[in-house]
Amino acid sequence: MRDNFNVDDVDMAIVAQLRKNGRATNQQIADLLGLTAATVSARIRRMEEADRLRVVAVSDFAAHGYNVLMQVAVAVDGRPASEVAAELAEFPECFAAHLVTGRYDIDLLVVLHDFNDLPKLLLDKFSQVKGIRSLTPTIAVDVIKYKFDVAPISSGAN
Amino acid sequence: MSTPNLDDLDRQMIEILSRDARVSNRKIAAELGVTEGTVRGRIKRLQQDRLISFTAITDFGMANASNIAFIGVQASVEHVRDVARQIAELPDVNAVIITMGQFNIFVIALFDGLESLWAVASDKILAMPHVHHVETSIGVNTVKYNARVVRITESDQDF
Repeated sequence: MRDNFNVDDVDMAIVAQLRKNGRATNQQIADLLGLTAATVSARIRRMEEADRLRVVAVSDFAAHGYNVLMQVAVAVDGRPASEVAAELAEFPECFAAHLVTGRYDIDLLVVLHDFNDLPKLLLDKFSQVKGIRSLTPTIAVDVIKYKFDVAPISSGAN
Repeated sequence: MSTPNLDDLDRQMIEILSRDARVSNRKIAAELGVTEGTVRGRIKRLQQDRLISFTAITDFGMANASNIAFIGVQASVEHVRDVARQIAELPDVNAVIITMGQFNIFVIALFDGLESLWAVASDKILAMPHVHHVETSIGVNTVKYNARVVRITESDQDF
C-alpha cells in the first residue's frame, strides 16, 4: 500500500470486535480473543496513529434532522471537473462528492432538512458554481441500507 | 424520517463520541459538566432509539475493497422494495436507496478490482428477477465523504 504498515490476524480480530461494539472495553475484547488488555490497547492505538482505524459513534440521518437525501449527478463543461467538485464539496449540504467515470462527471450525495430547501440549494447555490452543464437530481424515497465501515481516513477526505 | 427530540447535551455528546467512541463516560461527564450517570443514561437512550451506534471505520488502505462504485438499477416498480432488500443483503454493498428518477434503486458498493465490481453489478444484481437494467459509474477520486452519518438498522443494535 502507501507505506509499510502491516496488519495481522490479531489486528483484524480486534477490528472485527470493534465493528460490533466500538465501546467494548479493552478487557472485554481481550477476554474474547485470549489476549491481554494492554495488547488490545496498544494494537488499537497503533492503527489509529497510522490513520488506519477510527473507532467512532456513527449517527443516523434522523439524529441530524435530515429528512431529504438526494443523489445529484453533475455534468461539467469548460472547467476541470476536480475544481467544480471541490467547490461543490464546500456546501455543508453536500455530504459526499466523487469524481466518476460514465455519463456524468461528478456524483454528489446531498442532505436537506426539508424539501423547501431544495430550490434554494439547486438554483441559488449549486447553479452559481461555474462550469456546470447540468444537474440531475434523484430523490431518495427510502433508505434501505446506508453504512460505510471503510473510508478514506488517511487522505483526509473523511 | 422524522426529527427526534435531541437537546444540546445529546448533540454535544454525539459530537464528542463521533470523534472517538472509546472516550470514557467519566471524561465526557467532566467535559460537559454533568454526572457519569447522565452520560450513561443518554448513551443508552440514543442507542435504543437507533440514533447512534459505535463502530470501527478502517482506512481504504487497510481493506481489500478500496474503490467505490455507484450503480443505478432499473427494477419493476411493483417489486422495487423486494429487489432493494435483496441487493442490501449482498456483502459488498454499502448503500441501497430506493429513488425516484432515472433509476429506482441507487446502490453504492466498495470493491477491489473491476472484476469484483462486475461480479456484483452484472452477475448478482442484473441477474435478480425483476431487474431490467444496471448502469455503473466508478469513483476515480473522493473529494468529500462522510462515513459518520448512516442509517442505523435493527441489525446494528448489537450492544
